[in-house]
Amino acid sequence: MEGVAIIGAGQTKYGDYPNKGVKELFAEAYLEMLQSIDQGLEPQQIQAAYIGCLSSGSGFQLGQLAPLLMGHVGLPNVNAVRIENACASGGYALYNAACAVASGKYDLVIAAGVEKMRDVSSSKGRYWLGVSGDTEYERLAGSTFAGIYALMAARYMYDYGMKREHLSMVAVKNHRNAVANPKAQFRKEITMEQALKGVPVAHPFNVWDCSPTTDGAAVVLLCNAKLAKDFTDKPVYLRGFGAASDYLAIHDRNSITSLAATRKAAAEAYKQAGVGPKDINFAEVHDCFTIAEIMAYGDLGFCEEGRGHILLEEGYTRPDGKLPVNASGGLKAKGHPIGATGCGMAVEIFKQLRDEAQEPSRQIKNARFALSHNVGGSGGTAAVFVYQRGDE
Amino acid sequence: MGAHISIPMYQRAVAQRYRLVGQKCTKCGKINFPPKAVCKYCQAGNEFENVSLSGKGKIYSKTVIAGGGAPPEFAEEAKCKGSYPVAIVELDEGPRIIAQLVNPPEEGYSIGMPVEAVFRKIYEEEGVIRYGFKFRMAAQSV
Ligand SMILES: [Zn+2]
Repeated sequence: MEGVAIIGAGQTKYGDYPNKGVKELFAEAYLEMLQSIDQGLEPQQIQAAYIGCLSSGSGFQLGQLAPLLMGHVGLPNVNAVRIENACASGGYALYNAACAVASGKYDLVIAAGVEKMRDVSSSKGRYWLGVSGDTEYERLAGSTFAGIYALMAARYMYDYGMKREHLSMVAVKNHRNAVANPKAQFRKEITMEQALKGVPVAHPFNVWDCSPTTDGAAVVLLCNAKLAKDFTDKPVYLRGFGAASDYLAIHDRNSITSLAATRKAAAEAYKQAGVGPKDINFAEVHDCFTIAEIMAYGDLGFCEEGRGHILLEEGYTRPDGKLPVNASGGLKAKGHPIGATGCGMAVEIFKQLRDEAQEPSRQIKNARFALSHNVGGSGGTAAVFVYQRGDE
Repeated sequence: MGAHISIPMYQRAVAQRYRLVGQKCTKCGKINFPPKAVCKYCQAGNEFENVSLSGKGKIYSKTVIAGGGAPPEFAEEAKCKGSYPVAIVELDEGPRIIAQLVNPPEEGYSIGMPVEAVFRKIYEEEGVIRYGFKFRMAAQSV
């Protein structure tokens, strides 16, 4: 297998863009990615593009989104394909792009994601967001996507003694982290009191436990590791990548306090990278709801199952802790443009591992290995990546 | 806006919606609900006998969906009740099922409490009432 490196990365600021569609958002991230390549790149060298998107621009583009986007940026003839696995669409675009480079088939491949969520009315949004789960049973019980994660949170509390306050600790931490991130949607701190008292959504969740609706795009350029130094002295190596599925419906799973898809994907990524959870210096994990980050700690091996809330309580995952998690603000505050999210995590890690976090206050120092974790829906799919800095 | 769960899609699962029909695997004897093409327990058997589930079980987890966050087809119900409770129930026969709770006790209820299935209207869409199971606290008279 060939080695895989990231040599360029760009993304829009996440937010609300009434004047930009999927094409404009994608182009902005793509051009920022091109600019980030230190020695420059002739774009015609790019051979393929894997683009994650759930809704194809709020469902306005029925099919073949990838060629539409590539034609918009002057690359109409590459192998372009859209990848969909709900909220993990971006992670799976990255996974498939990495496999394409690792196979030796291609040397230069785009992994990207884009989502335009703010165009749809909230009632239509609730219609299609419900689709990320199991439609026939979960939906007919009147449950929402938040409701499914709320059921996980309630059981986690019951099994492990987690308190409501622990959920809010995730929201407070990630909102604080987003303040210094110029790419984040919500750059505003919230207090513990606020976080505990938001408008109810699905018990025990209030609005502060849920990620927002977001417009945005993210693009990274993968390169055969042997060629990476032709383009930059500071590539970031993708040392391990794993992906796995699980039953789509929550009632079919053995455990609802752990995501089996994450566990399997993480094991695969760690094994390929030849490192373990103890080697990871910081991580971007999938906090679509606050409980998701707490479960991810256990599933990624940062602690034992059922002790995620203790890790959080001890400050282990704060920016000044041993293993900063979601220093970007996470889905919670950086934002969650569904198809873009998994690639946006890679953009953040690329910048951090090159000491280019822009605001010095948020630069994670002396990091060697990082991890990103992207989940589809309530855990029907998950992708995990291990990155290593390349300038040492 | 079309129906989220189309009428044909609903009708294909009437045996599950109306009678809680599960499938007993002829290879390992375990009961699959909802139906699978290959048994989820032994991951080998693909022949099944229909069995009606008792509808008795225990609350495995629970939430309350707030009015503002309800799916559009439940918006009316949410508007009139303010919110409604949803639970995962672990049936005595093994399978888990997700459903609403009816008339949960005002003094509260918790994971582990016994419940039983009742047949109820779920919602109406496209002029067709969708029926299915909800759960009430066991031995509770309604
Ligand atoms: Zn079987």
